[in-house]
Amino acid sequence: MCLRNLFRRRTRTSLCVFGVALGVALITAVGATTTRYVSLIKEMNVFYRGDVVVVPRGSIFVQAFSFGGFLHESALDEVKRVEGIRNAVPMLFVLGSPTHEGVIQLVPSNVTVGIPAGDWSVLVGSTPLKPGGSWPSANTSEREVVIGASLSDVYGLNVGSEIEVNKYKLRIVGVLRYTSAFLARTIIMPLKTAQEIYGFETMVSMMVVEPQEGIEREDLANRIETQVLGVRALTDEERNEIVEPMFRDIELWSLGITSAVFLMSAVLVMMVAVMNVSERRRELATLDAIGAPKSSIVRIVATETGLIGLLGGLLGIPIGAFATLLLVCFYTKVPLSLILGETFILVPPAMMLKTMMVTVALSCIAGLIPAIAFGRKNIAELLRLEH
Amino acid sequence: MIVETIDLTRVYRLGASVIVGLNRVSLEIEEETLVAITGPSGSGKTTLLNLIGLIDRPTAGRVLFGGRDTSLMNERERRETRLRNIGFVFQTFNLLPTLTALENVEIPMAFAKVPQEVQRERAAQLLEVVGLESRLQHRPKELSVGEMQRVAIARALANRPQLILADEPTGELDSKTGSEIVNLLSDLHRKQKKTVIVATHDEKIAEVATKTYGVRDGSIVKDR
Repeated sequence: MCLRNLFRRRTRTSLCVFGVALGVALITAVGATTTRYVSLIKEMNVFYRGDVVVVPRGSIFVQAFSFGGFLHESALDEVKRVEGIRNAVPMLFVLGSPTHEGVIQLVPSNVTVGIPAGDWSVLVGSTPLKPGGSWPSANTSEREVVIGASLSDVYGLNVGSEIEVNKYKLRIVGVLRYTSAFLARTIIMPLKTAQEIYGFETMVSMMVVEPQEGIEREDLANRIETQVLGVRALTDEERNEIVEPMFRDIELWSLGITSAVFLMSAVLVMMVAVMNVSERRRELATLDAIGAPKSSIVRIVATETGLIGLLGGLLGIPIGAFATLLLVCFYTKVPLSLILGETFILVPPAMMLKTMMVTVALSCIAGLIPAIAFGRKNIAELLRLEH
Repeated sequence: MIVETIDLTRVYRLGASVIVGLNRVSLEIEEETLVAITGPSGSGKTTLLNLIGLIDRPTAGRVLFGGRDTSLMNERERRETRLRNIGFVFQTFNLLPTLTALENVEIPMAFAKVPQEVQRERAAQLLEVVGLESRLQHRPKELSVGEMQRVAIARALANRPQLILADEPTGELDSKTGSEIVNLLSDLHRKQKKTVIVATHDEKIAEVATKTYGVRDGSIVKDR
């Protein structure tokens, strides 16, 4: 009955459903994109846990890596001389664009990391390699690299494949298992190889410093900053402090956009409900006159608007999911056909369900208001007016 | 006695002006009678019917339904009484346009929580009683005005009410179709022992009525 009522005004209902669908699509795309980025950055929080990270003063450090400045390798010796340090590992991060067989360009969101051979675990922790793989040889002339799981999947690269970076041919000797989105898109190679192929000889992006047992990280960080010029030493807490405002901003913006769009959709649905109730005063007054419980009348109107929300959601969520895939394609330059398989990772089913539930609930609420307002009217007067 | 009104008064306020719709109307309606309420437009017939049917509340006076003072009923009780004990037939039929004839008749039963199978069976029987057994699946726009009024009568009978209230049931019909509706209402009263109150201009109804009240300017002026 409610569906039939809705489609008595096909154009109006269709436009409303389409409007809600656009809103839901926007919410899905914004929600999926921000959730993805926030979780990606939060995921990086696992790196260097318990260690102190030394970066050039003035550079920007976002969880796993720093950019916007380099340290001279000589700083490593200065840092190592600071009391209380067990080990200090230099790393070079480069947002690179290597090519594979001259066709596909890996994008800046893929990161090349140079680490002294043997110190791989500083970055990858306990992430294992897929079967058949090994870590690059310390001999830099071998030009061996390990790549992340996504790069392997997306570009069809495996152990034995070759990639080309800045005209240097690199051989893949290992593929990391998937443990984080960041690692999944990294190319890991010996520090010297990275410095050579990118032309950053003697330069590093940062150092990861492991304190000796019993040494307070905060004290160690202070000592490093005092004794080594031009560096910042960041503890876990300080690294979190850097990104927390960013999370807050991203989540606040996302919440703001989502709330505004939900509100606009609810207003749209309510306008349609007001029009529908107004046009069907006589029908609803008749139901009231023949003894229909007030709750039944409210339920009829709320179900109709809930159906608008449901249809809008069913249409909008796939559009939003597709828009998210297109956005990812646009920013990562990875072909859509390769990203399709990641749809439910990029737009998790739980998020789709939550968006659908909120949309339907808000649509029902939007219908309640005109229905309740109608319930306050005098039926006798409504029936008389219609005569 | 099924309905009794005592000094029933209904005053409407439209801005600064006060309109007396009904003025101290007292009448008694026995069970299983067909009562005609006649009078010109604006005389107060519909107002009286709305007050008897518990659709409206009086400004003063009382309506007793089955001996019970309806002014003491809360909104839920009034609604229940309308649903189970009173059937309404409107001048303009007031059928739900998206529903079929069968579904329109089922609607009051659905609100009364009659089981679905019973609803369907009883609605089909009622439509057969009013001569529409071949039009069950037709929507109102596919029916003639006479057929629509028959569906409305079947709907009014759905919850087997004791009282049927019909407001100008032949007002929108030609004389032949009007006569058929009059006969149908008369049959309800005679064969099904229903109490039927009809507000009408139609002399034919007055002719078959057990009792007629004439209303003018909100007051009973004639009692036959």
